[in-house]
Amino acid sequence: MVKEIPSLTQSSKSFAKFLSALATGFLALTASPPPSGAQTFNRAFAVSPERSELEVVNQVGTIKVTAGANSNKIVINARHSDGPAKIEATQNAMGKVKVEVTGRGRVDFEIAVPASSSINLLSYQGAIVITNLAGAVRARVTNGDIQIDGMRSAKVDASCTQGNVSFSGEVLPSGRYTLKSFSGRVDAILPANADFKLSASTFSGGMDLEAFQMKFNKRSHQLVEASHGAGRASISLWTQEGSIYLRRKP
Amino acid sequence: MECRAVVSSLSDYLDGRNIWASDDEVEKIETHLTNCPTCLNLKLELSELKNAARELPLHTPPPALWTRISIAIEAEISTENGPARATQNASGWWGRLNSRRFTFSLPQLAVAGAFAAILIVAGISGVFGPNPPSLSFKNAQSGLLPEENEIKANLERRLGAINARKEQWDSERRADFEQRINMIDESLKRCRHMLEDNPNDAGHQEMVRALYDEKRRLLEDIERLKW
Repeated sequence: MVKEIPSLTQSSKSFAKFLSALATGFLALTASPPPSGAQTFNRAFAVSPERSELEVVNQVGTIKVTAGANSNKIVINARHSDGPAKIEATQNAMGKVKVEVTGRGRVDFEIAVPASSSINLLSYQGAIVITNLAGAVRARVTNGDIQIDGMRSAKVDASCTQGNVSFSGEVLPSGRYTLKSFSGRVDAILPANADFKLSASTFSGGMDLEAFQMKFNKRSHQLVEASHGAGRASISLWTQEGSIYLRRKP
Repeated sequence: MECRAVVSSLSDYLDGRNIWASDDEVEKIETHLTNCPTCLNLKLELSELKNAARELPLHTPPPALWTRISIAIEAEISTENGPARATQNASGWWGRLNSRRFTFSLPQLAVAGAFAAILIVAGISGVFGPNPPSLSFKNAQSGLLPEENEIKANLERRLGAINARKEQWDSERRADFEQRINMIDESLKRCRHMLEDNPNDAGHQEMVRALYDEKRRLLEDIERLKW
């Protein structure tokens, strides 16, 4: 016959509960440590999916913009720290949403927009990441990288003074794609059947354009003008001190 | 877009849309021009003036012109030093100017006409522009690209406005900005030297243009960031 020792069982259960609570608390603390002084900023704006427009001007920090699930809303989530930065988000009568950061401090944005939105982004220091959009894109970073993926847009203008610029997406027949970096590499990853005319120029870097069988109009180690297919879209790649890579989408 | 903003951008817009303005700005200007007859008329007048100035023939003044001018100056000096000085002073400079007879050849008149047209265009953009570009003799001499002097004037104007505010920035921000501007200027210098050696090389021309565009973008960043 087994003699129960109720007191012992009860105390071991309580101890297990205590340990479990301690572990949960510890995990919660380590999983999302709130940086000292960090604050969040959350706003949503109702927009028309056909005429949605967003402009972001950021001083320091990343800006990530992606196609959101809701085609009638621009949803802005930001986290700011390290200084007295002030975030202002407004919408004008035409529905355009403008987000502007003033003052010092790092602000990291994650923004969801309707896929067809036109966006105009600027950050002095920090990366810009844009995914799965179909509207016109203008992205400018003074010091940081620009990464644009999964695009179906006819107008892309991405440039940085210091940093790398990469673009991956479809090339629409009437499209204009400008990728520039003063001192960084420029990457364009295009579908095999892309139909474009290309202007590529680098002062002191190299060019890897072999992925496409192109017809060359001009070809030197610094400047290339060529076309692929009927040459309908226009692609312009420039870097002063970096290299240029044109690749085929796998 | 308001009329005032369009008018101040018109000169730049006519000079070359790809270099001066973003696509968005160009679209806004064009939309405004289709809806505003006043601004459209001004744009047409400016275009006509620019075209007329461009079509005027360029003439090199004959060497004898300077000889004639120097003789006239010497004659003026000797007259002023002579006994008739008191009478001349009494009638004033306007009287002297009126009493003189000027004769110009057709090429001289054409050069003067072109100069007057340029002054009118510069004057109009100066009146309507927020900060008139500082044109200088050095700039006028240094254009390697057809549009280079205007690009430089525009950049100088924008840089001047930024420099005026720069004293209020902290040292870190100021140093960072200056480093980037210097970096671009150094590259520009190198590429311009190459273009000077091969003025018709399209590749070098494009490189110089791309560097000016990069400088414009950097200045535009600072303006948009409201530093």
